[in-house]
Parts: sequence; C-alpha cells; structure tokens
Amino acid sequence: MGSTLDQSGAQVTWPSMSSVVLPGWLRRSVWLGLLPATALLVLLIAPLGRLVLAGWAGDVNLPGAATATAWSFWSPWQDDYLRWRVLWSLAQAGITCVLAFALGLPLAWVLARFEFAGRTLVLRLLMLPFVVPTLVAALGVLALWGPHGVLSGWLGINLQNTPWLLLYGNLFFNLCLVVRAGVDALSQVNARQVAAARSLGATPWRAFWRVEWPSIAPWLMSSLCLVFLYCFAGFGLALVLGGQRYATVDVEIYTLVAHELQLGQASVLALWMLLLTGAVALVYAVLEKRLAAPSRVEPVERHTPQGVTQWLAVLAAFGVLFVICGLPILAIVWRALDAGWGTWATVLNTESRAALWNTLRFSALALLLATLLGVLHALAAQRSVLWRAAAFLPFVVSPVTVAFGLLLLYPGWTASLPLLLAAYAVLAYPFVAKSLAAGLDSLPPHLLHAARTLGASLQRTFWRVTLPLLRPALRRGMAFAAATALGEFAVTLFLSRPEWATLTTLIYQRLGHPGASSLDEAMVLACVLMLLALLAFLLIEWPVADRHGSRRSPTSAVSVGALRHA
Amino acid sequence: MLELRHISQNYGARVLLQDINLQVAAGEIVALLGPSGSGKSTLLSIVAGLQQPLKGSVWFDGQDITQLPPERRGFALMFQDFALFPHLNVLDNVAFGLVEQRLPKSDARARATQMLERFGLAEHARHKVWTLSGGEQQRVALARALITSPRALLLDEPFSALDAELRQGLREEFCQHIAAAGMATLLVTHDEAEARAMAARAVRLVAGQLEPVW
Amino acid sequence: MNRRLFTLAAAALAALSWSTEVLAADELRVMVHSSFSLPQPLLAQFEKQNGIRLAIIKGGDAGEMLNKLILTQAQPIADVVFGIDNTLVGKALAAGVLEPMLPQTQDAPDANLGAALAAVDYGFVTLNYDKAAVAKSGMDLPKTLQDLTLPAYKNWLVTPNPATSSTGYSFMLATISAMGEEPAFAWWAKMRGNGLKVVKGWSEAYYTDFARNKGAYPLVVSYATSPAAEVFYSKEKTHESPTASLNLKGGVFRQVEGVGLVKGGGQRATALKFVDFMRSTPVQEALQTAMWMYPMRAKTTRAEVMRYAAEPTEFEAPTAQVVAGKGAQWVARWTKVVLK
Repeated sequence: MGSTLDQSGAQVTWPSMSSVVLPGWLRRSVWLGLLPATALLVLLIAPLGRLVLAGWAGDVNLPGAATATAWSFWSPWQDDYLRWRVLWSLAQAGITCVLAFALGLPLAWVLARFEFAGRTLVLRLLMLPFVVPTLVAALGVLALWGPHGVLSGWLGINLQNTPWLLLYGNLFFNLCLVVRAGVDALSQVNARQVAAARSLGATPWRAFWRVEWPSIAPWLMSSLCLVFLYCFAGFGLALVLGGQRYATVDVEIYTLVAHELQLGQASVLALWMLLLTGAVALVYAVLEKRLAAPSRVEPVERHTPQGVTQWLAVLAAFGVLFVICGLPILAIVWRALDAGWGTWATVLNTESRAALWNTLRFSALALLLATLLGVLHALAAQRSVLWRAAAFLPFVVSPVTVAFGLLLLYPGWTASLPLLLAAYAVLAYPFVAKSLAAGLDSLPPHLLHAARTLGASLQRTFWRVTLPLLRPALRRGMAFAAATALGEFAVTLFLSRPEWATLTTLIYQRLGHPGASSLDEAMVLACVLMLLALLAFLLIEWPVADRHGSRRSPTSAVSVGALRHA
Repeated sequence: MLELRHISQNYGARVLLQDINLQVAAGEIVALLGPSGSGKSTLLSIVAGLQQPLKGSVWFDGQDITQLPPERRGFALMFQDFALFPHLNVLDNVAFGLVEQRLPKSDARARATQMLERFGLAEHARHKVWTLSGGEQQRVALARALITSPRALLLDEPFSALDAELRQGLREEFCQHIAAAGMATLLVTHDEAEARAMAARAVRLVAGQLEPVW
Repeated sequence: MNRRLFTLAAAALAALSWSTEVLAADELRVMVHSSFSLPQPLLAQFEKQNGIRLAIIKGGDAGEMLNKLILTQAQPIADVVFGIDNTLVGKALAAGVLEPMLPQTQDAPDANLGAALAAVDYGFVTLNYDKAAVAKSGMDLPKTLQDLTLPAYKNWLVTPNPATSSTGYSFMLATISAMGEEPAFAWWAKMRGNGLKVVKGWSEAYYTDFARNKGAYPLVVSYATSPAAEVFYSKEKTHESPTASLNLKGGVFRQVEGVGLVKGGGQRATALKFVDFMRSTPVQEALQTAMWMYPMRAKTTRAEVMRYAAEPTEFEAPTAQVVAGKGAQWVARWTKVVLK
C-alpha cells in the first residue's frame, strides 16, 4: 500500500495508485506486464540464451576454426586485451556520464527557468542527434575535428587517435538525454517548497541543493544511467571515432559472432556485459523506486532573464549546446546544401521516395507498438523494482547477439517484416516505459481517488484523469522512441530486403561505394532524415493550446502548468 | 443511513482497525477523532470503497455495499490537499462528476456554472485551479462533490491546510450545505474544537477501536 | 473522438503496410551481400520471364553472410546465394551449405571456385592513393610493400580489419601469399609501428580516413575499380580520376565471386535459371557500374568508365584449400600482431 505523510508528518495509508487504477485481477504486475514480458522474452532473452547455448554446447559446425584456447567464464578478465577493452568501455562511459552531468544540469536549469525566444525550438532541436546514423554523425564530427577539420585546423590541434573525439561524439549523442530529463525534472519542482525554503533563510544555492536537487535527482539519474549504457554498449561510434584502440566491448562481440562464429567466446563476453550493465540498471531501479514521491503540481514559473549574469548564462547555454550538439549537424547540413540542386533532385527519385515511405511507415508502426508496450510496462513497474530494471533490458543486451540469436531461433521468420518491426519496437519502447513510470511516480494518488468517488470507473479514471495528466510524459517518451525508430542504429545487423530499404540503409548504401556524389547524396539523405525527425517531434509534442488558461499578470511570465509544458 | 459493521483492517502485521462499528444517520455529521496514524484515513478509504476491509462490511440504507466499487457508491470524498484536477479548469472540475453520470457536456457545464454561482466562484470558472487560493480551492472541491448529489460525504481533514480565520467561515458554509442536502457525513479531524463546532456526535479511534466521546 | 480517429489511423496504416508485404507463394530467395546491386529492370525481366518473385535478402558483409547461412543450415533461409568468393568458398564447402551443381550449368568450372559455385565476376583488392595528397607530400609513391615500413611513409596506410571486412581479409591474404607467413607477419608488425590505422570496414576506411575524403591517410586498401567509381560518381564531369590504384607486389588480391545453390533450399529449377541469369550478357554488362566488378564472361562489352580501372597484371590468388585451412588462424594471429 502506498503511504504519504500528512501535515504532522505521520504516516497516512492510502491505497497505492495501481490498486486504485486497476481491478484486483489485473493488479498484479504479472498480468499487466504480460505483453512486454513476452516481447522481451521472445525478442531479447530467448535469442541471447539460444546463442549462449549454441556457444557452450558447440552445436554449430565451424570448419577450419582455430582451436580455441581454453575459455572459461573468467577469460575476459584474464586476457590482457579483453580486460583493457572492458575497462576502457566502462571508463569512457563513466567519463561521458560525468561530462554530460556537468554540462547538462546547468543547461537544463537555464532552459527550465528562463523564458526567451527560441526556447521551444531549442528543445525540439535537442533531439536531432539521436536520429543521425552513426557513420554520418562520425563524418560530421570529423568534418569539424578531424585531421582536416575546420575547428581542429583553426585551433591548431590534432585529435587523431586520441579518445577525445570519441568523448565528443558520445556527448553529441547523449547530452540531449540529460538536458531533456533535467528540464522535465526541474519543471516538476514544487514552487511552494522552494519559496518556503527561501523564506526559511536558504540562499538560492542552498534552496536548490536542499529542495530542488532531491526532487530532480531520480530523473537525472535515470538519464545518466541511460547515457552510461549507451556509451558502454555503444557500437559504431566508438569504432569510427576512437579507432581500434578505443573501441568498446561490443565490437569484440560483433567480430566474434558475425565473422568468426566463435559463439562460445562471444557469449561469455555478452554475459559479462549483461551482468555489468544489469547491475547498473538494478541500482538505478532501486534508487528510483525509493526516491519516487508524488508531488503537488505547482511549477516554478519561468521568467525572462534579468540582469547581465542571467543573460550571459543563457548565451553560454546556447553556446555549449551549439558547439556540442549543433556543429556536427550543421556540418552535415552544410555539406548537403553545398551539394547543389542537382544532387537534391536526383535524391528525390523513386528509390529515395520509396525509402522515405518505408522510413515513415516502419517508424510509425514501431512507435505505435512501442507506445503500447511502454504503457503496459510502466503500469506494471509501479511497485516492482525488477520490472523497473527490466525496462533497461533492450539497452543492456548486445544487439549483435540478439540479431544472431534470432537467426538461430527463428530462421523461418528472419527477413520478415513483423519481426523487424517488433525488434525496433522492443528497442524503442523503454523510453516510453521509463518516461511514463517517472510520470506515474509523481502523480498525486488523491486525484485518482477523487475521480473514483466522483463516479468514474477504473477505465474512465484512466482515460479522463491519468492519461491527460501523463500526456506530457507520454509524449516525451514517444518522441525519444520515434527518434530511436528513425535512427535505426541496429539496422545493419538484421537481415533485410531491398524493398524495405529505409533512408538509413540507403545512406549506408551510398557510403558503400566511392565518389564525391555518393558522399553528397548520403549527406542529403541524412538531411532529409533529420527533417523528417524534426517533423515527427513537432507532431508528437504539439503543445496543447491553453485556451482556458489565465495569466497571473501581463508583465510576468505566462503561467504554464507543469503538465502542459511545451 | 451509513453503517459500518465489524470492520477490521491491518497494515502489514500491525492491527489498525479492530471490529469497528459505527452508524451515521442522514443529515448527521459524525466527527472521527484520533491521533495521527491511528487509521482514520484508512477507515475513510474503506467506507469510500478504495480499500477492502479484512473483515466486516459497509451498509447503506439497509444494503450491503462492501463489494460495490467506489464509483457506484455515491459517496463524495474530500481531501486536505483539495485534489482538484490540474489539467481541467475550475468549471470542468466541478462538472466532472456530472459527465460521469452521462450528462452531455454542455448540460454539465451549465449546471456547474450554476453551482459556482451559488458558491460565489463564478468569476473563476475558466481559471486554472492552482491560481485560486486555498480556501477557494476547497470550496471548489466541495462544489464538485455536492453537484453529484452524493448520498454521503466523507471529509478527510478538509480544513487542515487552511488558516484559522478561513476555517471558521468554511465550517459554517459546509454545515449549511450539508444540512441543505441532508447527507450522512463522516468528518475525520484531529482538531477537537472543529469537531465540536461541526459535528453532532464524535467518536475517537484509539488502538484500533472506536470510543464514543460525545 | 480523438481516440477513435487514432485507432482508425493506426489500423489503416498497419493494413496498408501488410497488404504490400503479401509474400507470393512462388518466390526465389536470393541471399546476397550488402554490395549487391543490379538495375531493377533487369531483375524485373527475370521475374517476368520465369513467373516468380525475386526475394533478395541482404546479409551484410560477405563473411557475415556466409556465417548466417552456416548458422541456419537446418532451416535454410535462402535458395540461392551470390557473393561467396574464393576466400570463403572453402569454409562454405566444409560447412556444407552449398549444393553441388550439375555440370551442364557450368561451361568451365572456375579453378578457384570449385564445382559448387559458378563464377560471376572478379575484382582486385589493391591499394588506392589520393593523387592530391601524394603530390602535396612531395614524396614518390612506394614501390614495394617493404617501402611502406620506412619512416618516410609513416601514417600513410589505413586498412580495414580482416576480422570484420572481406576487403581487409583479402589484402592480408595477398601479403601472406606473396611473402610467406612469417615474413608477412613481420611486415605487419613493422607496419603497426609505422602508424598503420585499422578500421572496421571499407566504408569507414574510405570515407573517414582516406585523404580523398579529408582524412589523414593518403593510402587505403580498396579496389582496382574504385578510381573508376570516383569518376562515375564525381560531381563535375572529369576526365581524370582523383585517385589511382597502386599495385604493389604482394598487395594485390584477385577476388572471384560466384553464385551457387544453397543446400536444402527450394525452387531448384528456377534457381539454376538464376545462375544462368547472373552469367548472362545483360547482367554481366550491368554489374560493372552497379557493383564495380569485372565481368567473368569473356567478350563482354566493357563499360566506358572502366578505362579508369586498369586490371592489375600481377596478383595473388591462393588456393581455396589453403585459405580454408589456415584463414581463421591467420586472422587470429593478425589481430594479435597488429591490434593486441
């Protein structure tokens, strides 16, 4: 049963949220989570298990394979090379987290507390890095910082074969996660509590530390966990920007599985990865559950920056975002525009139009499925730590093992569209699940009790109260899920057919043969992809017109409810 | 008439309520006193149907309603944090229950407007709920509850979040409305003065059992 | 109301997507690698002539593709496979994923590919250099592989990893075939010390590290036809390729690709027709600019642009048995020598 504290601080027991929202028979997490659990089992766990089984039982005929040295479960730690790989993977993920936090929190604060022109646009554009295919992003980064890069030449530094390029690339992809989470978290802070703290003698910094920070910590930690997992399990970027020396463990797994069919060794590595990342996910889940607290809806209002320092802060925020997230995209757009009308014209031919249509419908279908899975998972995760950790599963299991495990398990279904879409939905739905879970956590249970007693049945309460209140969280999750579905980072691993070619596969195709126009076309296609993504974000997060809203006063900022945040 | 028969409830291993028996007649206000954490709110949620008791039953007008879900009991519940829906404006908040009674939206809004006029809150109809003061919000909550013509009213420390002056005025207003509607009312409070001012009878919850006070 | 609209739209979208994916009862599943490409009209013609639908399945890099076939032996996912070359055929035969073809379908079995594969095209893995970068460096081109280990050519070469790229694999085999195993690995060790860069695959090497594309390395392991592709895909009409092949002894590998039947697959008759189709004149002419390989069929008209891609005269072509026997070992040793 959930409990809150009443005015005197004593425990008041009220039925927990999920027991009010759902009838008894549905209440058990097991039932709610049936669909997501099946999806996870069938598409993630079973293939991984099958691969591990094949590796350990050795039932795959491997002609001419080098006789493997004695491999045990502890081999990754005994072999110098592998140990370095694993430790480096952990290190670069950790460093990226620290950097993302150090940069992301101030940025989020500026975006959440100040009102200025272009604020909404920045929030939308923030998500673009997610959509850019890895190789294209790498090209963008290299155009800036590579050996002949614009910035590296200007600053006179050589970043070749250093880990800095990789860290920059990691930040490019992941900073947006932290900033978005931070902005959402800061919008949930209760203004009255902050005001109370200030009136009790706390300086702005102390008020932040003692009131705002505890409130936003779960959200931030969630996103940092995600950043860690992405960087640790990241595949393509590390290889391109870091070179062989600074590549991650997943590259080893890919080599072992895809090219050497050394399933035994690969599965040992994959299991270790699973253990390490699973531990991170569990820690996060425990913390999130413990820190989850419903909050009163009283957002801290945004105000226009006053004074030089505040304006400088806004400019600095713009600057940092531009340098880290904006420049590589700008490099790509620049290259695309430089390609000339001729290239744009050829790119809009039948092949590209077909690819565009495919991208649209696959992403839309994957998004729908991901939303359904995400909602169910979030409802099931309300009271269960294990379920919350399970939401990370798609990030934790190496996509290489999944792709090949699927081949082993369901050879008849590979190269089939439903499986491909289901795979994308499974890879994308954790965003919806986690965003919703955070939203559900902060939903005051009294509202649902009130609705029930006013005559709304369970379903009616869900549709009339819960969902509208969760709509912003749902939209955020859907936006990220859409970005993942559009970005298709694992696309090259699955079997595909030319008629299913999407924009991403077309880009990789263009980069598969030489020629300046090939590169140009790839850039143009990447631009089209980003435009499509921007459109999708705009649609999903379309701000609801606040027709009935009241304004506190004409001079101060618009009173925008936290839950109608744009 | 609202009746509680042999209600028992545990919180984990601890016994919270033990063989509670209570009757509240129509139009009567019964105050439920007791220290914090004694289980008063739990009792209220059982009456409302949000929780099932371990043992015992809830009766209304001679019918056993223990198995009835909250939306069919017709009891209105009010909280100390008002629990107004932030995504709806004041008017739609008040009209909420009417929409659940299958009234067309326009009719519901019209009746809600009338209700707001009775309460003197008509000017706030299109405002967001958090722009109102605490006292105004609680009155909106009352309007929202009363418009559905509930059979009984359950109040969980409704005035604790408000200052003393406000409480006085609100108490009187509530009593007027309750008397006009003739509802059985259960008032949970820890303030004895408040209980005396509003209630005809008071019982105290001590160690899981009810003791009559006056 | 919004909800109903939403569900309706979702259902419509789903229905629309599925309707176009109705799999014909009769289809020929062709497994290919990711570089496969033929003009759509040609494929459509085949479909029409044989009354069957072509289901092309892309399986990634050639080595990856073969591994996927091996993994799914029990329930084959394709009927025909294109793209197994002379470096992989040994592994394919040993794993038993290919079905021997009847002799009539082959005019002359290619010595390099054996009886189970019909050769379709061939190519050369060799070094490419960026003319501008070399000119800027003011140095002469290296004349032998040993030259590359000189300090003058430090940080000049980028190669794909043989473990993850068939291009890199072929190049490694060429060096071993020419120099012998021990000297070759000694050379690779020296190259490691001389700034050799290793990347995942051809695309990464060519587009992020090759000097032609603003990378730092003037030399890249690529194909003899790449300079022709540069002209074909250039932005302005040009008569000179910005890159050229550098054919060093021990640095050129002849790759022969073939098409074959997958053991346990179906549609035998049509599959054999597909084999003939791939060796027919229209396809042989088309694949030059579609896949940038040289046609196997004698007397095929060469494409105009292929004059920028002169065929190397000297090349390495180790036998399939040798490759099959020691290939994996060599890759493991290479990884240890160069990467670890």
